[in-house]
Amino acid sequence: MSYVFQFGTVWRELDHLLLGAWLTLKLSALAMVLGLAVGIAGARAKVSSSRLLRGAVQVYIEAIRNTPFLVQLFFIYFGLPSLGLRLTPDQAALLAMVVNLGAYATEIVRAGIEAVPKGQVEAGRSLGLKPWQIFRFIVLMPALRTVFPALGSQFILVMLASSVVSVISAEELTAVTDTIVARNFRSFEFYFVITGIYLAMSLAFQALFAGIDRALFAHWADRA
Amino acid sequence: MRSAIGRLLSLTVLFVGIAIAGSVDRASAQTVDDILKRGKVVIGVNTTTPIFGLMGKDGQPEGYDPDVARLVGKYMGVPVEFVSVTGANRIPYLLSGQVDMVIALFGITPERALQVSFSIPYAVEAATLVGPASRQVKTVDDLKGLRVGVPRGAMQDLILTPIAQEKGINLMRFDDEASDLQALISGQTDLAGTGLLVNRTLNRNDPGKDYQVKLVLRELHFGIGVRRGSADLLQWLNTFIYTIKNDGELDAISRKWRELPLENLPVF
Repeated sequence: MSYVFQFGTVWRELDHLLLGAWLTLKLSALAMVLGLAVGIAGARAKVSSSRLLRGAVQVYIEAIRNTPFLVQLFFIYFGLPSLGLRLTPDQAALLAMVVNLGAYATEIVRAGIEAVPKGQVEAGRSLGLKPWQIFRFIVLMPALRTVFPALGSQFILVMLASSVVSVISAEELTAVTDTIVARNFRSFEFYFVITGIYLAMSLAFQALFAGIDRALFAHWADRA
Repeated sequence: MRSAIGRLLSLTVLFVGIAIAGSVDRASAQTVDDILKRGKVVIGVNTTTPIFGLMGKDGQPEGYDPDVARLVGKYMGVPVEFVSVTGANRIPYLLSGQVDMVIALFGITPERALQVSFSIPYAVEAATLVGPASRQVKTVDDLKGLRVGVPRGAMQDLILTPIAQEKGINLMRFDDEASDLQALISGQTDLAGTGLLVNRTLNRNDPGKDYQVKLVLRELHFGIGVRRGSADLLQWLNTFIYTIKNDGELDAISRKWRELPLENLPVF
């Protein structure tokens, strides 16, 4: 008995697949922007002088980085309603992705900040710059430049991890595919095709990151 | 840039490779002798559905279906290896040869019988919608605007999907029955697609809401699923079900898990 591929079935469901891919893209892009914001804020707090702030961020990082994403997702979607916070599947998925990415991004950006030579910070201080000015104008951009490749791969990981939000009924690419496959049983064809779609999305994001890298940081490289 | 092209090229090669590998054999038909020779029978059961199959405290599946599976092992004289399957993945599990048979709330329908072969029924159930007593639902038309959770690919999903848009039902698909029921309990859905008896379990775990069967979508019978063309194995399973129906073993399982005597099951 030989398996016969029937890609015609995929073609007929293509609009559903693209709709799912669109939600995956939207969730991922939003999570990347918001997650980076959380990461920068978290990293700033992590190197601040307040021990309370440092401790709080440390607890957040350890709690998120040492627990499964799936469990965090269940916690937000099924757990928070008992505290009165009821989110739609899409909102819960986005929140889980931002919270998850934020913890990893915090550690990545912090590493970048620590790699900025002390002399530059001292130079800023001797110029009379305020701490937030030093962070904004002297520390942040070189820090981000240093860790941008690491951030990029973490962004891709969060996009790929979004495939599990199907468990809380968010209709992203994997969920849509699971639903179609549950009806027509052409699992091999569909998983084959969405593997390709995920791959294409990853490569597109990588190309986008490379473009951002050039646009934002190219002039830094000249001086380095 | 050259490296990007190189990467794409190697990925293309990889994909073509997978396609070629994939076009070889799918698991073929199954005979009783294959199973006896191997010395164990691999059975897919659902472990997320109260009454019919849950993971027990000892890490072994328990419920109506696992007990039927254990009887299969008993009468074949080989140990049973359990594999957890869901409504959505049980057919792929079967067709890819990872299990010998599926005993997992597998409602008999002609559409599914295009993919797998069913034994004669060993259980009766119904696709229902369950909700708290306060929820007023008499017909499908009353579902307008309600959030209705279903296990993906289950009978409730198949029945409601074609009419969801027209009737204004907010259909939400979960990967398994456990999360479907969890969503009902945590108020993320108004009704949960499930079976006839699950509301008993819900009321034990979440008392005060008085969960009831609000709507019976369709009555159905469960059969044991095997790969198509496995006539030999199917014949054995039908003989097996005939036997346990008549010697009271299936009735005992029904009384133990459903707290109901076994109904008169149809045959085909």
